[in-house]
Amino acid sequence: MLIQLDNIRRYYKVGEEEVHALDGVSISIEKGEWTSIIGQSGSGKSTLMNVLGCLDTPTSGRYILNGNDVSGMSDNALADIRNREIGFIFQTFQLLPRETAQANVELPLVYRGLRARERHERAAAALEKVGLSNRVHHRPNELSGGQRQRVAIARALVTEPSLLLADEPTGNLDSATGEEIIRLFEQLHAAGHTLVLVTHEPSIAARCPRAVRLMDGKVVSDGPGAQVALESRAERARAAAAAVAP
Amino acid sequence: MKPSVELYEGSRIALSSLRANPLRTILTVAAVGIGVATLLAIISIIQGLNASFAHQLESLGTATLNISRTPQISMGPTWWMYRNRKQLTVPQMQAIAAQSRYAAFVVPELNEESKDISSREQTASGVDVTGTLGDFQRVGGYEVAKGRFITDADSDNERFVIVLGSQVAEALFPDRNPVGESVRIDHRPYRVVGVLAPKGNLLGQSLDLVAFVPFKSFLGVYGKRDFNIDVALEDPKNLDKAEDEITGILRRVRNVPPDKPDDFSIFRAEQLADVYKGLTGALYGVAVAVGIITLIVGGIGIMNIMLVSVRERTREIGVRRALGARRRTIVVQFLLEASTVSALGGVLGTAVGLGLAKLVSAVTSVSAAVQPLTVVAGVGFAALVGLVFGIWPAARAAQLDPVEALRHE
Repeated sequence: MLIQLDNIRRYYKVGEEEVHALDGVSISIEKGEWTSIIGQSGSGKSTLMNVLGCLDTPTSGRYILNGNDVSGMSDNALADIRNREIGFIFQTFQLLPRETAQANVELPLVYRGLRARERHERAAAALEKVGLSNRVHHRPNELSGGQRQRVAIARALVTEPSLLLADEPTGNLDSATGEEIIRLFEQLHAAGHTLVLVTHEPSIAARCPRAVRLMDGKVVSDGPGAQVALESRAERARAAAAAVAP
Repeated sequence: MKPSVELYEGSRIALSSLRANPLRTILTVAAVGIGVATLLAIISIIQGLNASFAHQLESLGTATLNISRTPQISMGPTWWMYRNRKQLTVPQMQAIAAQSRYAAFVVPELNEESKDISSREQTASGVDVTGTLGDFQRVGGYEVAKGRFITDADSDNERFVIVLGSQVAEALFPDRNPVGESVRIDHRPYRVVGVLAPKGNLLGQSLDLVAFVPFKSFLGVYGKRDFNIDVALEDPKNLDKAEDEITGILRRVRNVPPDKPDDFSIFRAEQLADVYKGLTGALYGVAVAVGIITLIVGGIGIMNIMLVSVRERTREIGVRRALGARRRTIVVQFLLEASTVSALGGVLGTAVGLGLAKLVSAVTSVSAAVQPLTVVAGVGFAALVGLVFGIWPAARAAQLDPVEALRHE
């Protein structure tokens, strides 16, 4: 078992009101699984992604990642966990604009404290894996959207993390490029990586072997991606019908 | 992450970020540079002034006591307090010479200030003429460049001979040897027997606009005036003992009752140093405060720029945190950026400040002393300003919530 979430709650105070972003979420994810987390905006999927990525700490509940209970860890310990265990892939890529592709990919290894030589070698290998060996010295503004996301994926892969965490990875890409990225994820899944993909698109959830649907901070379904995607579409249709009904 | 790696990577990031905003970097560097330059120039000039004053003070002879009827320097109480004091006399001087164990030389000093001395063609004005004895040369530390100094025999025989300070000799006899020539003071002729070597300035006053004549000759002409007694000591360490001893001798020979205060004053060159420090200390304090304030203004400039930089790079901070940077790593990165800017300012300011000090030395008579330690302190202090004023922005950067930071537009 790679991930075990046990009755995770995350409450925020927004003014006077308390928002229950996550309201008792329990999920387990096996090593090598490819899971998508689907939900409308406000469903709590971004909060869940932040908790999974150790960027946010739950108000209550237990989170065990790769055998470590991270629920009560210090800020420094969480930084080290993020560096070792998690590879982030963001919707907006989040590359450092002034650095080359190579330097961007090396960055997490800098924080791990590796020597320059080893960083170069590993970054070059990671860029090759995503098919960007010929763009190593380009800066983000000299790359296309798809290429930027590949650099970001290389950066996530370079630390050999136990979990790849992607937040709407195709959200800023056209459909053809998005398809390329999804295919890259399929390859990574086939190669044995554990993937968690956060999305609001049923069509993307349908491509994943497993999908977890969130609504109002609670898990409402958990099963094969295609089935959960169907439910999600039906739910959307109901919501749309309710909105136009007299 | 190892601290060494942290420092190395931090400097790399700092330099690349400074390169990315050249104009901003230059302006901030200039702000700090001006502060450092001001401070450094002021300190160098102060050190120069102090050094030259100390040097000048030495030329006065520090191991000397100067006895006079009224105080040489009085702060507060005025002349009327001393108006009933009796004049010092030659027998009193002889008593000191005979009885003191610490005195090496005892000489009288009868001053006539601001006299005109004329040769046939020229006149030197504002000359300080002193009637004294041969040993005054040792007491005052004068060197004779040409001819000889006045002697006790000159005094005993009331000869009208004169020794000229270098500046006087230069003014009266620019083109020939003054020795053997005749000069006049108040229409009375004196024969020049010697010329002194130059001594320089004290507090901006020339020590070479002087002349010496035999004591008794002078006493015959200006006899009603007070004269002072100079006592040069064998050993400067005995200054306190000598002062006590001479006070005792004088009280005895002047018949001062035990319950009355001294009716004479003893002055030391040291006291001049105290007066100098009192006069200039406050001025220096203000000047250094101005320099420090300028530097603080530069520091606030750095703080402002760093706050802007943190805001602009909020997302970058979020990315770094997500990829495993600890808070401390972020702090180090921004502190290095701030102190790099200010250290650059320090280097620039040091160069400009030293240039200013050199300029002041070249244009005015003040010689600025530039000490290596001052330079090190200038650059170090600038970097420290960067560190201090960088702490708050760096702490703000490190305190950012990674989730919020990543969402920042």
